[in-house]
Amino acid sequence: MGILTRATRNLSRRKTRALVVIIALSLALTMLIILPPSINARQALTQKAINSLIANADFLKTTVTLSATEIQCDYTISFDPNTMIGHGTIWLTQPLMNESLFNNITSLPDVTNVIPLFLELSTANRSYQIYGVPLENASFQMDPTILPQNITQGRNLQVGDSGVVILDEHAAENLSASLGDTVTILGRNFTVVGIEGLELPRGANGVTMSLADAQAITNSTGQAWAYKVFADNIDNVNTVVSRIRSLDPKLEVSAGLSQLNTAQPLESQINVLTQAAQNNLNQIQGTGLIEISIAVIADTAIILFIMLYSVRERTKEIGTLKAMGASNAKILGQFMLEGVLLSVIAAVIAIAVGVFVLPTLASVLLPMPVQTGVGIGWDPNGTVVLQPGMVSFGKTPVIPGHETNFIAASVTPEIMLLGLGAAILLGALGSLYPALKAARTRPAEAMRYE
Amino acid sequence: MNDSVLKIENLTKTYKLGKRDVQPLTNLNLEVKKGEFTAIMGPSGSGKTTLLNIIGCIDKATSGSVLIDNVDIAHLPESQLYKIRRDKIGFIFQNFNLLPYLNARENVELAMELAGKFKGQRKQRAKDLLNTVGLSGREQHRPQRLSQGEQQRVAIARALANDPAIILADEPTGNLDVNNKQEIVKLLLDLNQKQGTTIIMVTHDEQVAAQTQRMLTLNNGKILKDKQTQKSTLSGNQSKAEETQEE
Repeated sequence: MGILTRATRNLSRRKTRALVVIIALSLALTMLIILPPSINARQALTQKAINSLIANADFLKTTVTLSATEIQCDYTISFDPNTMIGHGTIWLTQPLMNESLFNNITSLPDVTNVIPLFLELSTANRSYQIYGVPLENASFQMDPTILPQNITQGRNLQVGDSGVVILDEHAAENLSASLGDTVTILGRNFTVVGIEGLELPRGANGVTMSLADAQAITNSTGQAWAYKVFADNIDNVNTVVSRIRSLDPKLEVSAGLSQLNTAQPLESQINVLTQAAQNNLNQIQGTGLIEISIAVIADTAIILFIMLYSVRERTKEIGTLKAMGASNAKILGQFMLEGVLLSVIAAVIAIAVGVFVLPTLASVLLPMPVQTGVGIGWDPNGTVVLQPGMVSFGKTPVIPGHETNFIAASVTPEIMLLGLGAAILLGALGSLYPALKAARTRPAEAMRYE
Repeated sequence: MNDSVLKIENLTKTYKLGKRDVQPLTNLNLEVKKGEFTAIMGPSGSGKTTLLNIIGCIDKATSGSVLIDNVDIAHLPESQLYKIRRDKIGFIFQNFNLLPYLNARENVELAMELAGKFKGQRKQRAKDLLNTVGLSGREQHRPQRLSQGEQQRVAIARALANDPAIILADEPTGNLDVNNKQEIVKLLLDLNQKQGTTIIMVTHDEQVAAQTQRMLTLNNGKILKDKQTQKSTLSGNQSKAEETQEE
């Protein structure tokens, strides 16, 4: 029969009282146990949103700057004279550009990159359009939008791919092909490695393949439908446009300088959203801290008052123990242990309850993270726009590490141990004064107490 | 050879009650020999319980000296006094003062636990002591399931647990009926005569006091009478009743 048994027996003497106290302590400790992981999870999520906004802002700057230095040149689309007779559909045609023009543009001053793109328009004999894109790292880095942007099945084209195609949904339907099938395009077999959801601005019925494959099957080696030309900086765009025009007056040359006008408001919008996320984060931390303080004070105060009451109620017992030769330290230890024991029992209940009620209780106790995230996308005209949403997801450019996440907080073993530790500490803190009072009781007075 | 277990010289106790000074004990002198069974009598407020509390180290003397086994406890600090209470004194109270959440054996064991005795040792001694006071087979009963007489027996066993130099009994029969009263007095007399236990007992009951070896009568904080009775057997050098009258 040691000190612990005595403490347990003492608590069980007044069962109803002990039960009420333990329930009250459990409520306070449940708050204490679930708040830190919930705050952490919300903080992590909001921080992620903020990081994503910052990444998006950087991406926006790069993209807009790039768009603004981009110059597109191609020949004018015209009606195909061969389809002008008869009735029904009139087909369009567009002259291709030769490799010599590519070389001339590439060697112009202030030009950093030229990306050739291929497009074979639909004809009366086939109901799809052939897109050819250069499958090189340099091109992807310069302009990732040259690839299909909305792969719904399979994968996108990769560097070095040959003999493979991406079909958009209409083309797949027209060709009766699905992912993994082999389709014959202009007499050559291709494996379908991906399906693209329909998305503007690319037209419907698209079959996308490598530039080399597209040129080969259309007997157009070295030829392109359009060039994406990049000037070395924004100030030189107009000069480069003039130089290209002088190479061939029939060329249609357009610059993306107008994109700059959209960048400014987008940036300030991102700043506003970042500030909102930061405010939300501060609000979550502030509310959490206040609630944790309430839980700590409540736990300590409950133990303080119940132990003070207990000391008063057991004054004569304290006198007897002292008369028997109990030291002040033994009396102090006995009462502190009872306080700690109450707190630990309550903590065990709080942990068990916390595991189940964390998500519900956390949403009551803490503000939800605001939906501050944005992604960057393109409108049907190809202009950069902000898209609402948690963070980057869906059709917007995927920036690795900045995907949307859920609030995933749980009572981990680490939190359980911390909760128990806190309960022991608060139990000791709350019972210290009553236990000191008990230890300092003068035996003669205690014996006279009725 | 000095065989006194308690020697009190010029003991005075004063305390304030409101604005008034109260002096329950005034220049009191007393010597108790080892193995003596002393009864202290006197009217209410004569200083009996105060004297017992000072001998038991649960109250402090204002002046004078109180020697227990030649140690002056009158001016020891609390950090030393608890050891005297634990090792030298055994208390028996009028209201028994057993801990209600411990059974009979555990109540006796607690005194030994406070003295740092090992579990096996104290368990066996508690059983033996309960056997001595006639409670074998009742070890597992908690106080509320024992009669008042039995509760006082547990308290006596507890007082004996650490083999103290003096047993201090504050009206041990005050709450008992006639039969139990006689049983408890007989038990205390047995302990005194067979084991040589020194007992100082405060009582209002002359019949009970008459059975001890020495009767002290207190009045106004002084010893009025100090009477050796016919019962004196262990002091050895008294063959007949001897009475000392103090001023």
